Order: sequence, then structure tokens, then C-alpha cells
Amino acid sequence: MKKINYNIFILGLALLSLSSCVNSLLDKKPISSFSAESFYKNQDQAKAGVYGIYNSLQSTMHTNFSFWGEGRADNVKTKHAGEPTFLLNNTLTASISSADWTNLYTTISRANYAIKNIPGVFSEGDATGNQLVGQAKAIRALSYFYLVRIWGDVPLILEPYTQAGQDIFVSRTNSELVLDQVEADLKFAVVNCVEKFNSTNDRIMFNKGSANALLVQVYMWRKKYTEAIAAADLVISNPLYSLAVDMVAWGKMFSDSYSNESIFEVGYNETQTNGLRVLYAIGSDSHYTPSLNFMASFEAGDLRRAYIYDVTQADPKAIWKYLGKGVSDQIATTSKQNIILIRLADIMMLKAEALNKMGGTTNVTNALKLLEPIRKRAGITPNLLTEAQAISMYGSVENAILHERSIELCYEGHRWFDLVRTGKAISTMGPINGLSNAKNLIWPISTTTIDKNPNITQNEFYR
Amino acid sequence: MNYFNLNKQKLLISFCICIIFSISQAFTNSAVAQTSQNVTVSGIVTDENNVPVMGVNVVAIGEKKACITDSKGFFTIQVAKNRILAFSCLGYKTKELSVTELSSGKVILQEDASLLDELVVVGYGTKRKRDLTGSIASINSKELENSPIKDVMTAMQGKVAGVQILSSDGAPGSSIQIRVRGASSLNSGNTPLYVVDGIPIETTTTSLLNVDDEHGLSPLAFLSPGDIESIEVLKDAASSSIYGSRAANGVVLITTKRGKEGRAKISVNTSYGVSNITRRLSVLNSKQWREFIIEGYRNYDTHMGLTKETAISNTVVDSLCPLNAGDEDWQSLMYNAAYEKQFGINIAGGTKNMRYSLSTSYLDQEGIIRNSKYKRFTSRANTEYDATDYIKVGTNVSYTRSTNDRISAGGMGNRSMVVALLTRPPTYALSYPDGSYLGYLNGKRNPIALAEECLHLNTSNRVNANEYIEISFTDWLKFKSSLSIDFEAMKEDEFFPTTVDYRVGYNTGAVRVAEYFTWANENYFTYNQSFGNHHVGGLLGFSQQEWKTDVTGLNGLTFASDDIRTLNGAGTISGQEVNVAYGHALASFFGRFSYDYKGKYLFEANLRADGSSRFGKNNKFGYFPSASAAWRFSDEKWFKPFKFVNDAKLRLSIGQTGNEAIDNYTSQGTFLTGKNYLTNPGVAPYQMPNADLSWETTTQYNLGLDLSFFYGRLDFIFDAYIKNTSDLLYDVPMPNTTGFASVINNVGEIQNKGLEFSVNTKNFVKEFKWSTNFNISFNSNKVLSLPKNVLVNGYIQNGSFHILKEGEPVGTFFGYKYKGIYAYDTDNANQLKHLTSTGKVFKGGDVIWEDIDKNGYIDQNDRTIIGNAQPLFTGGLTNEFSYKNFSLNLFLQFCYGNDIYNNVDYYRNSIFSYNNVSTEFYYNAWRKQGDITEYPKVVRNDPMQNEARVQSRWVEDGSYLKVKTLTFAYDFPRKMIEKIKLQNLRLYVSGSNLLTFTNYSGYDPDVNTLSSSLRQGVDYGSYPQSRTFMFGLNIGF
Repeated sequence: MKKINYNIFILGLALLSLSSCVNSLLDKKPISSFSAESFYKNQDQAKAGVYGIYNSLQSTMHTNFSFWGEGRADNVKTKHAGEPTFLLNNTLTASISSADWTNLYTTISRANYAIKNIPGVFSEGDATGNQLVGQAKAIRALSYFYLVRIWGDVPLILEPYTQAGQDIFVSRTNSELVLDQVEADLKFAVVNCVEKFNSTNDRIMFNKGSANALLVQVYMWRKKYTEAIAAADLVISNPLYSLAVDMVAWGKMFSDSYSNESIFEVGYNETQTNGLRVLYAIGSDSHYTPSLNFMASFEAGDLRRAYIYDVTQADPKAIWKYLGKGVSDQIATTSKQNIILIRLADIMMLKAEALNKMGGTTNVTNALKLLEPIRKRAGITPNLLTEAQAISMYGSVENAILHERSIELCYEGHRWFDLVRTGKAISTMGPINGLSNAKNLIWPISTTTIDKNPNITQNEFYR
Repeated sequence: MNYFNLNKQKLLISFCICIIFSISQAFTNSAVAQTSQNVTVSGIVTDENNVPVMGVNVVAIGEKKACITDSKGFFTIQVAKNRILAFSCLGYKTKELSVTELSSGKVILQEDASLLDELVVVGYGTKRKRDLTGSIASINSKELENSPIKDVMTAMQGKVAGVQILSSDGAPGSSIQIRVRGASSLNSGNTPLYVVDGIPIETTTTSLLNVDDEHGLSPLAFLSPGDIESIEVLKDAASSSIYGSRAANGVVLITTKRGKEGRAKISVNTSYGVSNITRRLSVLNSKQWREFIIEGYRNYDTHMGLTKETAISNTVVDSLCPLNAGDEDWQSLMYNAAYEKQFGINIAGGTKNMRYSLSTSYLDQEGIIRNSKYKRFTSRANTEYDATDYIKVGTNVSYTRSTNDRISAGGMGNRSMVVALLTRPPTYALSYPDGSYLGYLNGKRNPIALAEECLHLNTSNRVNANEYIEISFTDWLKFKSSLSIDFEAMKEDEFFPTTVDYRVGYNTGAVRVAEYFTWANENYFTYNQSFGNHHVGGLLGFSQQEWKTDVTGLNGLTFASDDIRTLNGAGTISGQEVNVAYGHALASFFGRFSYDYKGKYLFEANLRADGSSRFGKNNKFGYFPSASAAWRFSDEKWFKPFKFVNDAKLRLSIGQTGNEAIDNYTSQGTFLTGKNYLTNPGVAPYQMPNADLSWETTTQYNLGLDLSFFYGRLDFIFDAYIKNTSDLLYDVPMPNTTGFASVINNVGEIQNKGLEFSVNTKNFVKEFKWSTNFNISFNSNKVLSLPKNVLVNGYIQNGSFHILKEGEPVGTFFGYKYKGIYAYDTDNANQLKHLTSTGKVFKGGDVIWEDIDKNGYIDQNDRTIIGNAQPLFTGGLTNEFSYKNFSLNLFLQFCYGNDIYNNVDYYRNSIFSYNNVSTEFYYNAWRKQGDITEYPKVVRNDPMQNEARVQSRWVEDGSYLKVKTLTFAYDFPRKMIEKIKLQNLRLYVSGSNLLTFTNYSGYDPDVNTLSSSLRQGVDYGSYPQSRTFMFGLNIGF
């Protein structure tokens, strides 16, 4: 037997005793991300959570704002096989990308997390907390508003998914109930959002004004004209918003973003880019160019034409609105312009529509008056249409307003929803692509959705 | 044959050897001749138990004299007084005795059970091969030295039963995929655990900038093959469960060389080689290509019923434009002879108290694709010191630096080269009239310009250090503790100059820096004691290991000049600014108990408890038990008559192992940062927490049989196994209304079962030596169950070519069944239509598709299983011959029964986007009614999808037999080199990948472009394999 220094034995035991720190060794928290337990613990995280919702909105609107709002309507034409052709020819299938609502529900999920968790890190009634929740609710409302307009009845989910065992196979909710929730969320936002951020954030995040403006769009969709007018008045009188003063400013509103006319736009920059370039201005391959009908529908002398598309060519290859007058495919500019979802001219014309719907000479006159500054800026005469002129030119005052919207708001993602909202989609698109069935006005539900949820059935027209 | 007095036993042995090998034993010894100066020596040779040994060769060294002992062990020989006699016999150690030493007349030979007594490295220790109860395969340094290999993983290819090596590509320094007994995981990787000198090492250090090529770098690149003493593969659960949650894919133990007591031995190895592509594939020249494209245009007009001919693009017909006036053979331009050199030096030795082994090596290897090359420098010091008579301390340190100029070869990205070489129109000019490369034309980048002008450089520095102390408290109780670190700093630089981009002035660059740091601490007691015939062993230990990774990177674009390629030259730093860190930890307790009685009945049990930071909080610890038993029935009394069987052992084992390769934080749920809104930092939920998340569990049963015949002349190892893996980690899709795409869950089950045979024979053992090693393994893989809610139409589609379906193996190809080409329009009697019931009718020259659902048209419901990537069996055959100083080693490798989806063939047989095509298509395309051919008519844009469908036409038999290496070596005679103070001097020439017998039509059947095991067996244009000739020199001082 060798002579052993028993200290060695103790050393060995000491090494084995390292095992006592197992728990701390195994307790590894993420370094470059948060675990479910470690997030929504303080006010900075609450803000970061809200920015994360806008981040999803960026992805949602990236290209789809145009597929949804313009792709099925009469202002565009396309040479691009695939999605643009399917939409324009009314041959929608469940596998096209714009039929996929994933991004909208991802946005809603992030908003639900924020709405549920933010109150916990602020003291009750805290204004900062409330305005953050207000923003989250406004974005949630915006998302559901798109969902209803595109798919009709959709699942209404107001709680975040945080653990296994929650009901994941949800069914659809009646679209009117969904819109009730949209209104409720927006009303909360109107009350709790900030009056203004005093920065460019006023254009790209929800404040009272933009929440109100979105409410106008929702009321108009629901044909609640009185409410629409009241909300629109709040927007129009809001000192944050004023019309772009001239055509140069009008052009910059899209190419430079953050104008005073803008009420809510989705922000993009050099690195967080969008699909505008692919949609509108990438040479021979651009998704959309102006349709012949659209080019022919301008009134004489309309100064906007040269800002909207490449007027140097008989068959324009590019839409210049957004990317900027004279944009060339040869220059590798990034697609970084903000996508404007709501602006003052839109709200003014919606109010005009509402007034017209209310009827009565005063209302109709006031409606046409709302168009005046817009027509004046575009250099069209007469600036102020009389009811008789409107009727003689467009058949009705409503049509005159819609036409003005069609030119003024072209390619901003309004046209299709305007046609559906005013019941003119079939009469307008029927001659172009044979659209004839009211059940065809909503999109099919993506196969990726149906395959994963047995409780969701395809929309009737697409079965 | 002048010697016939063999007794029965010898006859039997000879007879059997004759039958088995069809070789007759040669005994060339002469017992005659004597002179007057000689003395007569006689005696009896016995074994250690005093039993006479007959048939012993007694040779007088330096004289042509020999005799053989008779049945009583008696011999007599007349030799010169000062001679030395050598006694040799199969199964015994050779003994050399001088005449004076033989005065007693008694010679005792020791049994040479060297093969069986050989120590095999096992988890936390070593074991005699004869005592193994599990299934372990080993490769020793001798086998490694005999093949001109550059990395450790290729060394295993074809050498070990049950281990399948899938070469992903032939690029220098690239990774190789290893499957031990089949793929047992869907998503969590099938890479075995690598343990170097007892320390589990990091193997996830793959490339960070893989744009088009899925493959990374070899994780074992830091080891020079010259430093390897042995490689052991722990295959069954009994052997590997001591590594618990990381052992489900098998464990590979690598031991590096150590010094031995004695004077310093210096060995120098150097080699030079040249490689060339093994084969080229046919392409059209400019004239043929133009004709064929135009044919495609005209067929298109006919198909569409156009009366006016479609105008042909200028790129096709305008042969005067300098951009289209070429007649290039892109393969010749790209593939060149690649040179390589290797140099290594090792100094090893030791004193009574200290042993050392120091080595350094350098490898400089070019690839056969222009501008791809790999350089590696390694340095290693292994030292051990006996501090006292009961304390040993030691350290193993290695440093490796490698630089890898990489090429994007595989895939269909616009930077991928191999498909581009085969499909780029020959008319496209290589360069402009001014000599600069034509970079981009009609959506195609110039592959030569990509290779020559782009940068994709990977630089890695890795340090692996391990310090240990071993305390022997008594003869039977030891304690060992080690601390090791493994650190790798990897940097990747990428640059694409303006010349290869379609946009004017548009160049891009990227840089990534990653640090991988691992520390591990292992502490364990080992116990070994014998009580008479009872041997008891034990192991008890604790280990902890922690991994940390930190990645930093930037992307840049619009650099001021193509000459400044570092990111400071970028006009814009773009999107992908990266800086992330992550880590994980493992803490484990493990133990072993072993018992054997007389080495006849052996038993062993292992248990490991692994706690991993990756597991859900409800499943923090996993327990992995195993038990095994063996019965050496050759030691039983009733076995005595079977003298020709020296050793026979039956093994049985059962055990569980795990796969803990889950993402580090998945179980905790994730909120991701970087979900920013402009400059406002945003965070968003990304993964739901799953507190129950745990490892994948593999339960394995193994039955083995080891037989050794004729004193080690014939060894036979057989294993049969069943390996069931359950709780597979799968990303179960969630309805998108949840806001999450999926949640990782433990679902599903896979089974692998198989047979392994391995035979080692020594056919000739005299002056002419011939030994053979043969192994073959059969594995059958089957998906037993999948989560129901992820199945669409009863299966899961993985990528374009594969599905996952219950009852089918992983790697099943799914597509349309090609049945030939309609010779006449009227051959389509059923008026089968394209895509819909109102689609176009298939005509003469279109593909005949199998209408699976019999609905009269061919749509995606007509897809079916068209092949699978799993081989029926794989294996290798090594033959080694030597005569005097010459030796020859021939290694054949084979693989049978697997299919390859040859997607390159699709591109080579489709004029889609003006592709160049194979000459087979050009000559054999259907052209007129009645043409009987296998190639459809060529139609521009492929309107009937004759080519574009994923189809059985591109599924090929991937079976092959390869002459993998042939090495011819000459050892200079000792006498000659002793004069120049050398111990040994060896010269060899060697060829690798010399011949391939296969029906596969691509570059090489040993191909696997996509790294995911779910998408095995696709040839997507990988970097081709090459044939290498080498010349080398080993010098020992």
C-alpha cells in the first residue's frame, strides 16, 4: 500500500462537491433575447413591445397594402404572371400570398401581449401605460379592419397565447362583432393616446388624431355616416394636419414621407424596406403599371398625372408616386418610402361622401366644397364643382367624389375597398374581369390556414 | 510443400483456412543442411501451462535453417554457436533466444492474445477488447497511416461497420456527415458526439455565411490525422449511454498520440499530390446549342398553334455580338488540376517520470474548382508527468489555424457554380474584348468571374487544451479530474464585386466573426478489483460543461471600389448588423458497475443523469441507463472440441440514450429583440414556452457475436440492433391565428434496425503477407409515427423532393412517375390531359405520366413515392499485401440500394432560360411521329411540364463500388538506412478515388448536397469529387 497524503482525497471530494452548483449552472437565461418569463417586466420593455407591434405592421403592409387595396381594382394593369395577374383576372386561389393572413394575426398577437401585460408594469391609470395600450389597441383595430374587409368573418382573438393548452383551433366570428371590437379599441385609443408626440412619430404612430381618422374609415365601411362626420370633423380641425400646399409638396408627401397632410403612415427606411419598388417601379418587371382606363380618366390639366406615373412613355413602365418623379430602374435606390394608410385628403373626401349620403342641398354643397382644395391643388378647373357639374360629368355626386378619390389616392391601397364599400365593385370590375358574384368580393382563405385548423372552412365562393 | 507430418489439429486448421480463403498454407522452412562448425540444439516448447506446443517454427536467424516442433513440442536443430533462434507460432508471441540461453532445453511461449488483449478506449476509461460487452468499433493509427487522408472523418469511411459517411461534396476542408446506425432524428441533427482525449468537443462551428451552399466546414478540421492514435465508435446504447443525452447518434472517441518511455523518436511525413475531376458531363457546343434552342422555339409555335413564328431572342441568334459569339467549354475553364502538399513532424519520447509527444503539421490543398483552397497549420503537445508514484499530471494542448478560400458550388442560387457550368450557354463570352470578365448576362452570372473575383474566405483559429490529474489511492481505486477548454475564433469575409452584379456600381460585402468557447470539467473515481475469479469494476463521476457563442457581423454594399474589400469601404452598412450571444450548460452524474467471472460471464451497467439548461423546467434532468452482458462460451467445457475457435463471445445489451440538440432557449419561450420600428428598438414574442420540452429518447437493443478462429487468423464480429427513437423534437405547426408559426414538441417515433458484419483475416502471414478486412452493414430506417396535425394528405412535404410519411424511411422521394415518351399522338389513347380536365392533351413527344388517381389529368394528386435515399447496405473491403519491403494496400468502398434525386440532370435536360443541355438530350429528343426515345421533344418554356415536374426520370440508382484508395509503399531495408542514422524510411505512391463503378450519371454518386437529413440524397450540383495521386515519404529518426 502506497503512502497517501489524505489531503489529496479531500481535494477529490472538494472537486466532487462542485456538483452543488449545478442549479446555477443549468439556469441559463437568454443573452440576446428575452425568455417568456423575463419580458414585460418594466416600462422600457413595455415600449419595446409596442414598437414590436409596429414592426409586424411593416411586414404586413410591405407589399400587401397594394395587393389588397389595388390589385383587384381598375386602376392598375400588370404584365407580371402570378399574384398580380391572379388578382386582376379575378382568378384568386387559396394558395396566393395575399390570401394569407398570417402577418395580420402576428400583429394582433403582439398587440394582445402588449394589451395584456403593459398595465402590469405601470401603476393603475398611468397615462404613459394607457397611451401604449391605446397604440396597441389601435394597431389591433387596424389589423381586424383589414381582416374583415378581406375575408369577412374571421376569428376574433383578444388574448395572447402564452402556454400549451389554450384553444388554438379557433372558429370565425361574425364580421359585425369583429367591427364592434374594432370600434371599441379605437374609441379606447382616441381617449388614451397622446394628443401629439411632437416629432415625426406623429405620422407613424397612433395618436388621438390618427385613431380618430381610422375610426372615420371604419364608420364609412359600416355606413355610419353621422359618426363618420363627427369623427372626421375632429380630424380636420386637428392642427397636426393640413393639406400639402402645392404639387411639389404633394409629390414629396410620398417620396419624402412625414408630411403635414399625413395622418398615419407605416414607417420604412434604408434597412427596413418595403415592396414599393417591386410593385411600382422596377422596369419591365414591375408588378403594376397604370391601366388605360385610369390614364384616360384624368380631367384636363390635372397636374397630378406627371407625379403619378412615367408620362414620358405612351405605355408607362413605372408608377412614380412614392418612388419619386423620374425614378429609374438603373439606380439602385432602396424601397424606403413610408406607406401612407391615412391622410387628410382621404378623410376630407370620406366626410364629403358621408355628407352626400346624408343628403340635402347643404350637405351636398358642403361635400363638394370639401373637394375644392384638392382639385385646386391639382390645377383642375373648376376648383369647385356644382352639384349639376358633378352629375353631368360623373353621373352623381357620389361618383364625382369617388373619381376624385380614385385619382388623388391612387395606388395608396384605397380603390378596391372604395368600390366594395360603395357597392360598385361588380359594376366596375365585371366588364374588366367578369366579377359577378357578391361572394367573390372577399378573398379565399389560405390553404396554410385551413390545413392547420380544422375549424376554419373555406369561403363559400372558393370551395 | 515439403512438410507433411501435420497432426489432426493442424490439418483441421489448414483445411479450414484453405476452404475459407481458398489459399493453401505455405510452409517454406527447411530442416536440413548442417556444417561441421555447428552445435546441435534441442528442446521442448511448451505454453505457459506446460502443455507442449506443436508446429512451432524454429528459425536460426541469419541462416537458412529452420525446423518445426513435433506433437510433443520437441525440436532439434543444428546451428552455429553464436546464433539466435526464433520460435514463432500462430497464437503465441514470437520468442528469440540465443543458443546459450537454450541450455535448459525448455522454451515457454506466451499466448499471444494481442488482438483480444488490446486496449480499447471506452467512455471514461479503457477496456480490454476481450471484455467488451457492447458494440464498439475501432480504428488504430496503423490504419490511418496507410491511407493518404487529410481529415479524420474520411478516415472512417468504409472502415467501420454501422457507420455511414456521406460526403456532402468534394470541396477542400468541407464537412462530412456521419450517421452511426442510421438517422434517428428529424430535426435535431444526426451528428455523433465527438470526444477527443476524454473531452466532448464543440462541433457546431460551421460557416456563418452560407448563402447558397448549405454546407459548413468540417468540425474536426482542427485535428491532424497524423496525431491520431485511435478512433473508437461507440455504437450501441450500452457503450454510449455513459454520455447520456448526447449519445443517441453514437459517440466517436478520438485519442491522440502519447509519448512512451525511451529516446526521442522523430518522424517526418511529407506528401505531394495532384487531383483532377473524375469525370466531365456532356454539353453542347455553340452550333448545337443554337440549333436546339431554335428547335425549342419552333416546337413552342406548333404547341401553341401559332401561325406566325415567335421571334428568337438576339442572345441566341446574334452571333456577331461579342457577348454572344463565344464557344466556351465552361467545365474545362473551371476545373483544373489541383495540387496539394502536406508536411508533418512528430517528436515523442519520455523518461521514467515523464512522457511527451509534440507535433506540428501543415497542409496546403487546392480544390479542383479554380480559386478554392484550404490551408491548415496544426500544433500539438501532449505531455504527462509522474509527480509522485501515485499522482500523474498531464496536459494536451493543440492549436490549429486554417484558412479556407471557399466557393459556392452547390444549389441553384445565382452564385452557385456547378449547375451554372453545365447549363450556361456556350455562346456566352468569357470576357469582353478588353479582356475583363463578362460578369452578368441575361440573368446568369459568369461562373469563372464568380470564382476568380469573388471572395469567400474563412479563417479559423482554434485552441484545445486539457489539463488533468490522476491519483492512484490504491491499486484498485483511482481518481481523475480534468479541466479543458476549447476555443475557436472564426472569421469570414465575403465580397462580390461590381463585375458580377447586374446593377451598375453595385457590390456587396459581409463579415462575420464568431467565438465559440467551451469549458468542461470531469471528475471521476474508478475502481477495479479482483477477488479470485471475480472481477469487479466501478466508476462514479460528475461532469459539467458550458458552451458560449458570440457572433458579430456586418453587411455592406455599394463599396467605393472593388479593390477595398473590408467593410470600411462600404457606402452603406446594410440590414444584417449582427451581434448575438448564446450559451448552454450541462451538468451530469454518471456511474458504471461491471462484473465478470473468469472473463467468461461479463456484465456491465451504466447510468448517466444529464441536467441541461435546454430542457424545460419540468424536465430538467434526464436519466439514461443501460445494461449489457456477455458470455464467452468458448471458455465452457463443452466447447473444448472446437479447438479451431479460440474465442467466442455472445453479447447482449439494452439501453437508452438521448439527443439534447434543442435550441438553447426554446423551452423558456422567446421574445426576440431586433423587431425594431425604424430606430425604435422593438421586441416581439417569437416562441411559446414549453416547460415539458425534453430530449429525444433512443432505446437500443443490441445482440452481438465475436468469434476468433485459428489463433487470430480469422476474426468475425456480428451485431444486430434495433434502435427506436421516440419523443422526436418536431416543430409542430400552429394555426397562424396564434401569432406563432409552430411550437417545438416531443412527438413522433423513428426506428432503425440493422445488421453489421465485420471480418478480419490474415490470409498469409509469412514473408508474403496478406490480410483482409471486410465490413458490411445493413440498416433499415422507418418513420413509425408522426403528429397527426402536421400531416397534409397523410404526409409532410420537405422541400421540393422529399416527404415524411409513417411507414416510409426518412429521405423518401415524392413526385410524378415517368413511364416513357409518347411515340405517336395516338399513343395517348385515353386522352390524358395536362393539369385539369380541360387542359391540353399530351401528344407525341410528351412524357407519359402515371395517372395515379385515374381522373384523366395529371395534377399534383398524381404524385407518388418514386425512390428513397437510404442504402440497403454499405461497407468496405481492405486488402493489404506485403512482400519483403514492399506493401500494397487496396481499399474498396461500396454502397448499394440508395436512390439519388439528380436535380442536376433536370437542369441538363431542360432548355429553361436558355440552359445548355446534355448531348444525350440533343441527339435523342423526340422529333417526329414514331420516334421511340426516352427524351421528350424540346419545347421552349416547357408548357406541358415534361421537365419541370419532380419526377422519377431524375431518380437514379446511387449504388456504387469505388476503388477508394490504392497505396503502394516501399520500406528501405534497415541495414541500408541505419548507415544514415534513420530508423525507417518509407516511400509511397497512392491514388484516391481511382475508379467508381456505378450507373449514376452525375459527377459522383457519393454526393449529398442538402445538409438536412430530411432531404438526404439530392444532387444539386455539389462540388465534384476528385481523383488524387500522391507521392509521400515517411522518415523516422
